[in-house]
Amino acid sequence: MLGLGALVWVAAVGFGFTSLFSYSVEAGTPASAPGRWPIESRMPAPPGAYRLVMTVHPQCPCSRASVTELNTLMALLRRERVKGYVLVVKPADVPDAWIRTESVRAAGRIPGVDVIVDVDGVESSRLGAATSGQVVLYDAAGRLRFAGGITPERGHIGDSAGRQRILSLVRTGAADGSDSLVFGCDLGATICPPRPHPGTSGS
Amino acid sequence: MEESVSGVMRGLGNNAAGRADVLYREHVQARRAKADRMMAILMVAQWFFAIGLALLVSPYAWAGKTREFHPHLLAAIFMGGGIALLPVLLALYRPGQLVTRHVVVASQMLWSALFIHLTGGRIETHFHVFGSLAFAAFYFDWGVLATATLVVAADHLIRGMLYPESVYGITNPEWWRFLEHAGWVAFEDIVLVWFAVTGLKEFKTMAARQAQVEALKESEEAKSAALQMVLREIQPSLAGSAH
Repeated sequence: MLGLGALVWVAAVGFGFTSLFSYSVEAGTPASAPGRWPIESRMPAPPGAYRLVMTVHPQCPCSRASVTELNTLMALLRRERVKGYVLVVKPADVPDAWIRTESVRAAGRIPGVDVIVDVDGVESSRLGAATSGQVVLYDAAGRLRFAGGITPERGHIGDSAGRQRILSLVRTGAADGSDSLVFGCDLGATICPPRPHPGTSGS
Repeated sequence: MEESVSGVMRGLGNNAAGRADVLYREHVQARRAKADRMMAILMVAQWFFAIGLALLVSPYAWAGKTREFHPHLLAAIFMGGGIALLPVLLALYRPGQLVTRHVVVASQMLWSALFIHLTGGRIETHFHVFGSLAFAAFYFDWGVLATATLVVAADHLIRGMLYPESVYGITNPEWWRFLEHAGWVAFEDIVLVWFAVTGLKEFKTMAARQAQVEALKESEEAKSAALQMVLREIQPSLAGSAH
C-alpha cells in the first residue's frame, strides 16, 4: 500500500515538474520587425548609436525578468554607444494605474534607458512586437540587427542566447545569430489594432 | 547464599550493555521522530509560503487585457500540496521510520526546485538547497544526506542536459560546470556526514553512561538487598550465640 502510494506520489510530482518545465520553455510569438528603423517612429534616434528597444506588458510577471536582464545587458554595454528604450504597452481604455508596476519602475531606473508609455501599442506595432519582453536592436544606420528575447526561459533571469548575440553584435559587429526565443505574455489586445509597416527609414 | 549474590552482580554487567543499546536506540528514534514532526510543520509552512509567493510575484498570466490564473499559482497550490502530502502523512503515521525520513528529505529538496521556479531562477533562492541539506542533518543519518544529494544531482543533470541555462545561468556551460555545483554540495555533505557520524557516537557514549549510572544504582540496590539477606540469614545465629 505504502509502495503504491509512493509510486503515485513520484509520478504526480514528476508530472508536475515536467509540466512546469514545459511551460517555462514555451516561447511566445516572435517579432516581425521591419528590416529598417520605421520612419514613423517617434522614438529619437541618437546619431551613431545602436537603438535597443524592449516592449513590455506592464502586468505580465515575466516582464520583471526581462527588465532585470535589460538592466544587466545595459550595464555590460555601458562603454558602447547604445540607446535603450522600454515601450510600456497600455490600452487607451485602461487607467494609468494599470502601468504603475514594479517592472515599469525598475525599467525607469536603468541608466541609458528611456521608458515610453506606448498607448495602444502604436510604437510596438511598428516594431512588430507580439510578445512581452521582445527586444529589437537597430544599428546606427537603422538596419535591424537582432530581434528576440533576452531571458533564458519564461520569467527566469540568467544568461541567454539573446544576451550573448546582442553583446557580440554591438562589440564586434557580428554574432552567431540574429534572433532568439522570446518568453513572455502575449501582447494580444493591448496592441489594437495590429498595424502593418508602411514605411522605413535609413537613419 | 554467596553464589546467589555474585550471580546478581554478574547479571548487572551484562544488563548494562544491553540497556545502553536500548537507551541509544530509543534516543535516536525519539530524535528522528521529533525531526519528522518538525519537518512536517515545515512542509505545511512552505506550502503556504509558496502560495503567498505566487500570489505576490505571478498571480496572473496575461494576454493583452485578459488574464487568467498563472501556472505558477496553480503549481504552488497543487504541486506544493502534492510535495507536502506524502511526507506529512508519513510523519504523522510512521514517525521515526527509515522510509519517512528519506521521503521527507527528498520532498524538501523538491521544495527547493519549486521555489527556484516560482522566483524566476533568482540566485538567492538557490540558498534554499543548502539550507535544506542542513535540515537533513537533523536525522543524524548519512543515508538521508545521500538521498538529498541524489535528488539535487538528478534535477541538475536532467535540466542541465535539456536546458542548461535553467541550471547554470549561461548558455554554453563548460563540461565541468556540473562538477563545480556538485563540489559545493559535497563540501556541505562532508561536514554534515561528519556531524551525523560523530553525533551518533556521542549518543552511544551518553547512552552507555546512563546505563552505567542505572547499573550502579541497581548494583547498590542489589548490594543492599544482598546485605539484608545476609543479615536475615545470620540473625538467628547471632541471636543463638548471644544466648
